Amino acid sequence: MNRDEIPPGTLYLLILKTLALRGELHGYQIADSIQRSSDDVLQVEEGSLYPALQRMLIKGWVTAEWGTTAGNRRARYYTLTAAGRKQLSVEVSQFERVIGAITRVIQTV
Amino acid sequence: MSWTGEFARRIRMLLHRRQFDVDLEEEMRLHLELRQEQQMESGMPAGAARSAAQRKFGNATRIREKSHMTWGWEWFESLVQDVSYGARSMLRSPALTIVALLSLALGIGANTAIFSLLDAVMLRSLPVKNPSQLVLLGTGTSWGTSDSFPSNTDIYSYPFYREMQKKNEVFSDVAAILSMRNVIHGTVEGRDGAEPMNVQLVSGTYFSMLGVPALMGRALTDEDDKNEGGHPVAVVSYAWWKRSLAQDPSVLNKRLKIGSTLFSIVGVAPPEFFGTQVGDSSDIWIPLSMMKDVPPNQQGYNDNFSESLYLMGRLKPGVSMAQATSNVNLIYQQIMRGLSGPNVTQTNLEKLPSTQVPLMSMATGLSSLRREFSDPLKILMVVVALVLLIACANIANLLLARSTARARELAVRQALGAGRMRLIRQLLTESLLLAMVGGALGVGFASVANRLLLHMVSGGMETVPLDVSINMRLLLFTLAITVITAVLFGTIPAFRATKLQLTDALKDGRGPQGAGAKSPLAKALVISQVALSLVLLVGAGLFLRSLVNLTNVDTGFNKENVLRLHTDPSSVGYKENDPRLTALYQQIEERVSALPGVRAASYSSFTFHEGSWNNNVVVAGYNADQNVDVKHNVVGNGYFAAMQIPLLAGRTFGTHDTATSQKVAIIGEHMARTMFPKVNPIGHHYRIGSLDSPEIEVIGIVKDVKFKSLQEKPVTLDYVPYTQHPGYLQDFEVRYTGDFSTISTAVQQTIHGVDRNLPITRVTTLNEQVARSITNQRLVAQLSMFFGLLAVFLSCIGIYGLMSYVVARRTNEIGIRMALGAERSHVRWLVMREIVLLVGVGIAIGVPITMAGSRLVSNMLFGLRGNDPVSLVASVGILLLVAVMAGYLPARRASRVDPMEALRYE
Repeated sequence: MNRDEIPPGTLYLLILKTLALRGELHGYQIADSIQRSSDDVLQVEEGSLYPALQRMLIKGWVTAEWGTTAGNRRARYYTLTAAGRKQLSVEVSQFERVIGAITRVIQTV
Repeated sequence: MSWTGEFARRIRMLLHRRQFDVDLEEEMRLHLELRQEQQMESGMPAGAARSAAQRKFGNATRIREKSHMTWGWEWFESLVQDVSYGARSMLRSPALTIVALLSLALGIGANTAIFSLLDAVMLRSLPVKNPSQLVLLGTGTSWGTSDSFPSNTDIYSYPFYREMQKKNEVFSDVAAILSMRNVIHGTVEGRDGAEPMNVQLVSGTYFSMLGVPALMGRALTDEDDKNEGGHPVAVVSYAWWKRSLAQDPSVLNKRLKIGSTLFSIVGVAPPEFFGTQVGDSSDIWIPLSMMKDVPPNQQGYNDNFSESLYLMGRLKPGVSMAQATSNVNLIYQQIMRGLSGPNVTQTNLEKLPSTQVPLMSMATGLSSLRREFSDPLKILMVVVALVLLIACANIANLLLARSTARARELAVRQALGAGRMRLIRQLLTESLLLAMVGGALGVGFASVANRLLLHMVSGGMETVPLDVSINMRLLLFTLAITVITAVLFGTIPAFRATKLQLTDALKDGRGPQGAGAKSPLAKALVISQVALSLVLLVGAGLFLRSLVNLTNVDTGFNKENVLRLHTDPSSVGYKENDPRLTALYQQIEERVSALPGVRAASYSSFTFHEGSWNNNVVVAGYNADQNVDVKHNVVGNGYFAAMQIPLLAGRTFGTHDTATSQKVAIIGEHMARTMFPKVNPIGHHYRIGSLDSPEIEVIGIVKDVKFKSLQEKPVTLDYVPYTQHPGYLQDFEVRYTGDFSTISTAVQQTIHGVDRNLPITRVTTLNEQVARSITNQRLVAQLSMFFGLLAVFLSCIGIYGLMSYVVARRTNEIGIRMALGAERSHVRWLVMREIVLLVGVGIAIGVPITMAGSRLVSNMLFGLRGNDPVSLVASVGILLLVAVMAGYLPARRASRVDPMEALRYE
């Protein structure tokens, strides 16, 4: 099954949106959610999630807390902050702008 | 806002790095487990599920690294890593490290110490407002009192100052200070006993022009300078307040008794202000209006021709030096033309138009110390810089040797993927670490050496008040040269060490390539060390011989076994021109001459290197240039006996030369020759000063003496008896036999027997005083000798190190030679030949550099020229000898090689 790669830089967008929709998630859940929401089209190399999450922690877009999973295991749960929500809308509008431009180029042909 | 939050988060991560790594590890492990479970749920067996999970996840190590790197501390962590690695490897080879650190400490420390002196004497600006706006009229080289016309452009009269202040258009403020310091003994009111005070007479505008506010009370104002004798006020320095009054808060109520006047202290200057003469701190500032009341009680306040003040001004904003110079000269001409007096003769008036007043920036203050030490300090700065270079060459060689030993380690790291730049960065960090530690040690060394240097500069009397302590500027300087040093000695070895053929290096760490590449560079370094050492040695030799020449100069008088001291009658109520002074001096001379062990005793105004009283002299029939400087020395009858100056004709002063008898003088040979060229001067007459002065008869001729410095050409000098010229005389000299301290105590007791309160200062010998006049030459000679020997020593180490290495490398070859029948002595010769060749090339390169360098310093030498062959030959000889000694041990080691061992040595 050949899954398409996601365009670079949109990983943050996906993670932010996922957290905005679902609230508190840990790393595996985020990866799973993205995969399922995209109908298995997007193949996220799951490892690349973690550096991205670290960067979002630095920027203050998410906060992390250790908690317990359903299966009684320790996991780190990420939540969106107010700054994160703002960043989400910024990224969404930027993405839409780019996609709009590309679409216009394609359609003109 | 988010920026600071981000920064705070990054800092927090830095502090909790380990916890972070553990957390991330656990998080990723959970992810993998969950993925594995999910795969197993869809039916995969455990092993396959795990592999699938890992594949989906990606390269865990890489991901961990990337996560770590997003926090941005990688540069810092690798720096810490490099530093600790460097420290460990330094500790692993302690001998090399100690040698390197010592050389660095000495090199950097020496540079810092000399620079601190240089900075204090030459570079530091005065601690006043906008020092760059300050200018001095004249060059500041002359000092004293003069009456010439046109005036000496360095010193001016008080009325001239007032005129300049009124008429100029370029200065926002003008000030004047007496060009001499008055070292007197005054009393703090209410205390017993006089204490020495450095009094500086200044104009009322002094403090306001400099922009120096008072710390307590007020500074002097122009009002304090308006009428003669009416303002007995004084401002004291912070240092004096601390030293003498123990920072007594009621200082403003205190009064000082100076001479016979009571001065009220009206202010205390701020702590960093010491006056305007660098190296010469003033204790007390008194307005010029009081000059008559401060010993030596000058009368020149209203005298157009009593020229003794330095004039200084603050340029108005926007005014250039050129504009100021032309305006000042214009006014100078105006003022001079308006004067009339006995010196305003036709001849002198003709000289007026060509008299130019130069302006000099006064941002760094006035300083006689600077004039004396400026050239020596510059020379010494070059010397220590060269020593540092030699030390750097040594360390570079040491590092090159060590990098050959580390070739294997570096090859392994490169093979594992380390970039060349990364390795070079690490090696440079190690060099920087070495340099920093060496630099820190150097600063410690410098702070000790500073004090020693200051002591040497002070020439044996009280320590010159220079601030040479370690300050920010000095530390920055040290840091700069430390970094430069590290770059100098670290760069080439770093690049060399990382340029490796990996397979060769990995095989046995000692490929022929690495060894071969090192040798020419190492040889070049040693050759340059030898060349620089030659330069330093020759320089030291030149200065040393120059010093020896100076100490052997015939001074004309006999400087051995003469005690001299100062007495200060002004502080016990004797006024200038007080008739009791003559009696006092005579009484002291009589009583001291009667002591056992004393051959002669006399008072005089000068002995040697103390300044002079210059006046023009009118000789009938001699078409004198009215500005011929004749120096006068006022002396007692026993002067020539005390100083053992040979009498060539006529007689010396005697008891019949009194205040009422014919005025007499004794002249020096040179004066006899120039002013009385064809006749016997004895019996002839002349006048001192002007045609109104009394006629003076020449009664004797004495041998020429050195008066101001050992290097001077013969001076026109005459002597007059103090019975006919009463006034303050500062010097008292006693020719003695026997032990100095016994005589000294006896003399001082005798003086106190005449007047119990007469302060006695500066007890020393004439020999010491002469020695003090060549302090800077002694400083240069001693220090250049020390650094020259240090340089040779460092070069020795370099040669020894290189030779040991070369011998080790050629052990194989030597073994073969010996197996084929070579004698031990032949092997020794082989090695020595290499050394001699090296040193020979070094000397050949060094000689032209030396020649060029010595031409630069020839004007500092005395009695020999820059290309003095003796110094050159001696230095070459010393270098060769030392190099041979340094190389002897490796040569011997080479000759001791056992052929069997050598052949097996691979």
